[in-house]
Amino acid sequence: MSGAQETKELVCVGCPVGCPLQLTHEGTKLVEVHGHECNRGAKYAKQEFKDPRRGLATTVIIEGARWARLPVKVSNPVPKGRVLEAARLIHAIVAKAPVSVGDVLLTGLFGEENLEVVATRSMERV
Amino acid sequence: MLGRAFGTYDVVVIGGGPAGMAAALGARDAGSERVLILDREPEVGGILQQCIHAGFGLHYFDQELTGPEYAERFFTRVVDQDVDVQVDSYVSGVAVDSSGEKRVRVMSAEHGLVTVPTRSVVLAMGCRERTRGQIRIPGTRPAGVLTAGLAQKMVNMLGVLPGKRVAILGSGDIGLIMARRLTLEGCEVVGVFELMPHSNGLTRNVVQCLDDFGIPLHLSTTVTRIHGSDRVNAITVAPVDAQLTPDHSQARDVACDTLLLSIGLIPENELSQSLGIHIDEVNTGGPWVSSTLETSMPGMFACGNVLHVHDLADFVTREALLAGQFAAEHAAGVRRPKDDIQLVPGDNVRYCMPHSLSTEREHTIYLRCKEPMRPAWLSVGGDLLTKRLQFVVPAEMIMLKIKPDVLERFHGDTLRIDLHAEKGGAA
Ligand SMILES: Cc1cc2nc3c(=O)[nH]c(=O)nc-3n(C[C@H](O)[C@H](O)[C@H](O)COP(=O)(O)OP(=O)(O)OC[C@H]3O[C@@H](n4cnc5c(N)ncnc54)[C@H](O)[C@@H]3O)c2cc1C
Ligand code: SF4
Repeated sequence: MSGAQETKELVCVGCPVGCPLQLTHEGTKLVEVHGHECNRGAKYAKQEFKDPRRGLATTVIIEGARWARLPVKVSNPVPKGRVLEAARLIHAIVAKAPVSVGDVLLTGLFGEENLEVVATRSMERV
Repeated sequence: MLGRAFGTYDVVVIGGGPAGMAAALGARDAGSERVLILDREPEVGGILQQCIHAGFGLHYFDQELTGPEYAERFFTRVVDQDVDVQVDSYVSGVAVDSSGEKRVRVMSAEHGLVTVPTRSVVLAMGCRERTRGQIRIPGTRPAGVLTAGLAQKMVNMLGVLPGKRVAILGSGDIGLIMARRLTLEGCEVVGVFELMPHSNGLTRNVVQCLDDFGIPLHLSTTVTRIHGSDRVNAITVAPVDAQLTPDHSQARDVACDTLLLSIGLIPENELSQSLGIHIDEVNTGGPWVSSTLETSMPGMFACGNVLHVHDLADFVTREALLAGQFAAEHAAGVRRPKDDIQLVPGDNVRYCMPHSLSTEREHTIYLRCKEPMRPAWLSVGGDLLTKRLQFVVPAEMIMLKIKPDVLERFHGDTLRIDLHAEKGGAA
């Protein structure tokens, strides 16, 4: 067994602390994680090892508001390799003022039920 | 709202970013009846409105929010708490009469020039970005050279891209976040160039903003020349030695149409200086403050980025709630005993905040290191209080609580804070 163990270094992106994580794995099986200062770090290491995902925040065009862009986020992390593709899909949205923070502008991004595009601020009509 | 202003306010807060909003809430909470926030922008929220990425609120709300979400939560509270808010209002000065009453001079399109009487003032004007002029990059002066924060506002609020092929000087968080942001918007980010041998941003931002997108980070490298007549068409970059002097023999040109500068922030001091407030030029670049966050002008308090540049809005909020509370106390006529301990930065400490302490209560102090260290031993007053930190980097502020019993020994003295690589060791 000993020969099959490998290590991998990651940086936890769970919060601004940025704990350096050491992952020990045997092939595709994660054995243990060191270096995390809180539980989110251990969870992050597991997720990153198995299915890396990233939070995504961007903007969409808004009509009838004070600003030209409305900030939005995806309600859950998207697959790391599809972040740019997700951004392109979201940029096709055109919102209309007024908008309230939390308004859902698109559901089922990439056909994933829990990937919703939501407004991250309110904007009144001007 | 200024129509009501002919009565005297308890607290007037200048600036409506996270610092200003929390200061106003802190003042209301501590009993001030009449509190006013003034901001020159058309809405409150400050810099948070353009920081559309997540990374706010983990300490304060135990939840990761984007900048606008964080701002909106506080704005809702500000409205609930009957704080007066006046936007599109630029504060150009504060006059203080012999009784200590202050008159805040405000300019707005709606009301013209008005003076607002108040007992206390909280300075919460945020910070400014350093520009090309401050680091004197040689070359032509074409369009396409701008600060990263300005680009952030253009992209995220105005919907205007600064260019197509972008180079970024400075690896602070704003530079890193803009590298990702512009990539998401379809720009090509050709590289981030950093003078120092380490990134000035949070590690998580290097990972998420550069590594994820394959954007190269060139450490110990700087921009030595800007080329182009109407528009930037290239920059020259060169590695630097340990003294940060560029080695021109290894210089190379990088084609780009835009250069973003993310080369540091400085407290917005214009107003504070015009009021004759004592500025800590050497360490923080912001006003000198006591443990009640009071500046050298009695009844004028400071918090947030105008005081020292913060990396976390959550810490801004915490500091500003206190400033608001002390401003409310002052307005109510409470006078605390003067601080009698000077807090001074020692080895590997760029600054510590506040500048003085009292023995009457526990204090939260903030400090920033000069060089990264892993691990680091923090010592307060020699070996009176030592604490092991896993690692310290300049991008992350360190927070520390000091109890009155430690402070008792330093009456009338200076208390020095050091960061050493070994316990009890020298730098
Ligand atoms: C790009 C970037 C990314 C960041 N990322 C994070 C992050 O991920 N997580 C995190 O916690 N923190 C982050 N921060 C830090 C945090 O946003 C700031 O520290 C915080 O917003 C500072 O708050 P403030 O209220 O002091 O200043 P500001 O938000 O700048 O507010 C100052 C306000 O004062 C007003 N003002 C100034 N002068 C006058 C005047 N004379 N009259 C009237 N009004 C005036 C301005 O209009 C402005 O609204 C980031 C900052 C930046 C720039
Ligand atoms: S392990 Fe916890 S404390 Fe460390 S970076 Fe991750 S979320 Fe932050």
